[in-house]
Amino acid sequence: MTEERPFRRLSPLTPLVRSFIVVVAAVWASWDDLLRGDPGPLAWMLLALLVGGAVYGAASWLRTKYWIEAEELRVDTGVISRQSRRIRIDRLQGIDIVQPLVARLFGLAELRMDVAGGGRGEGSLAFLRLDDARALKDLLLARRDALRAKGRPSADGEAAAAPTVPVPTPARVLARVRPTTLLLSLLLSADTLVLVLVALGLVVSSLLADSWLGLSATLPVLLGLGLVQVRRFVAGYNFTVSQTDAGLEIHRGLLEVSSQTITLSRVMGVVLSEPVLWRRLGWARLDVSLAGYSSSSGGQEGPAASTVLPVGDRVLALWLARYVLSSLDPEAPALTGPGPGARWAAPVVHKYLAAGAGEQLAVSRHGVLTRRLHAVPHARVQSVRVRQGPWQRRLGLADVHLDSPPGPVDVRARLREAGEARRILEAEVAVTRRARRAQGEPA
Amino acid sequence: MTRLGGVDDLFAPPGNPWQPVSPALRHLRRTVLLIWSALGLLAIVVAATVFALPLLVTVALLVVLLSVCAMAWLLIGRNVRFWAYAEREEDLYIKHGALFRELVAVPYGRMQYVDVTAGPLEQLFKVSTVHLHTASPGTSARIPGLPREEAARLRDRLTSLGNAQAAGL
Repeated sequence: MTEERPFRRLSPLTPLVRSFIVVVAAVWASWDDLLRGDPGPLAWMLLALLVGGAVYGAASWLRTKYWIEAEELRVDTGVISRQSRRIRIDRLQGIDIVQPLVARLFGLAELRMDVAGGGRGEGSLAFLRLDDARALKDLLLARRDALRAKGRPSADGEAAAAPTVPVPTPARVLARVRPTTLLLSLLLSADTLVLVLVALGLVVSSLLADSWLGLSATLPVLLGLGLVQVRRFVAGYNFTVSQTDAGLEIHRGLLEVSSQTITLSRVMGVVLSEPVLWRRLGWARLDVSLAGYSSSSGGQEGPAASTVLPVGDRVLALWLARYVLSSLDPEAPALTGPGPGARWAAPVVHKYLAAGAGEQLAVSRHGVLTRRLHAVPHARVQSVRVRQGPWQRRLGLADVHLDSPPGPVDVRARLREAGEARRILEAEVAVTRRARRAQGEPA
Repeated sequence: MTRLGGVDDLFAPPGNPWQPVSPALRHLRRTVLLIWSALGLLAIVVAATVFALPLLVTVALLVVLLSVCAMAWLLIGRNVRFWAYAEREEDLYIKHGALFRELVAVPYGRMQYVDVTAGPLEQLFKVSTVHLHTASPGTSARIPGLPREEAARLRDRLTSLGNAQAAGL
């Protein structure tokens, strides 16, 4: 191929967006000097830096090209040492569109591709115009589906035809979290509760001891914890869940806006959480484990990435749970608690433990302050474990764990009578085997 | 059910008998323990002379070192005796642990890859470690102290079974 490839470039504003803070700081710092027409040495240095940065940025922009070739998205970058990345389209797990605050001011967005078996940074394209980013995302996903369909033996020739951008079907909004609800839910969360109690305790003890040393020493920690709640609010602001052709789409964010698509086949399990103060209001939160999400980013991605509903009516959360589990009901299996012997191992906690298995799902419930219902389809269980500590051995008890891919989901039957634990393990091993077979997957 | 009966049931062989790991693992681990203990002894002696520690403190430190060493010695014995695996038709069972005992069942179809490693000391004792990886980090499927040929055979068998039953997520 000798003719010029039909490559495309990033937005020309990319260098500016990337170094926006620096540019603003530099201009702000030397503004007075420049206006007076008498720039000092510092201003000259900053100016030189800016010019140098601009030249480098422009060169970098000129050198960065991306195009789709056969079954790959190719990205060429690098000013001094050149890099060429190839991202296999059929291995794309999901594509998120993220708009950091500065990029948002310029109407730009970053395309983050989650590639099976690749790092997170590997699949990033920043920055594109928002419309371009959306179009590219749709095109890549359509192309991926076409490629995957072609790979299947039963595919007809139709699928192999050059894919075009599909006519986007309007997204159907399933749930939207009001900012007031989100704010209230964060104020009523177990974290805030603990935070307030600790702060109150410190204030009281400081008053009693007439020394503010303890409070001032722990103040940074308390502030940090408070800041975490603020960040949760900012990240979950305007949280919208909608249904699209590709799966579940999640929009959220106050400053940085992100839009994430969850393909239902990647859902490895769900967690329904109910902090103690939410129960009266009938609220719940829904998180899911996704295949190749946090695992591919080296643990960088927080649990927020897999939140499907930060707060909402319990009925709605359950409905969404059934939706992402392809109509399996996490509340259907009957749960049983551990036997009476468990009270010697965990005097309080044992009352809050329960586990059970249904036809398709293994479910467990635990947590004193925050009640969590974990559910995993049998077909997604990676391995089954029985664990027994020295004290448990004395009591003839054991824990059963179902290992899932990295994520919040952790189904376990704790403090079971030892013989029963082994029976649970054997039953689960057999049922996961059947479930994998039924899914058409090899055992 | 009696208490003992329950405990025994928990780690009963899954159909076919447990394959023990090589006793060489016990020697290997005890060698490592002795090396560390010797280093600890050296550190105590050096500290005692440099800082002119009172005799009582030195003796106390030695007693602590000795009892920790003895405890570890016994635990290593229990650990290696308990460690075993069983290859079944469609899954591998592994039991291990001394204080905290664990039994893990890994279906071949869920294996992503198999590692065989042998560190310098392991090479000296002619043993290798086989490590099974699934998509879950929780899966703790490791078999140390396998004779080299056995490790190679197990890896080949596991990979061929894994390929035959290759499963993605």
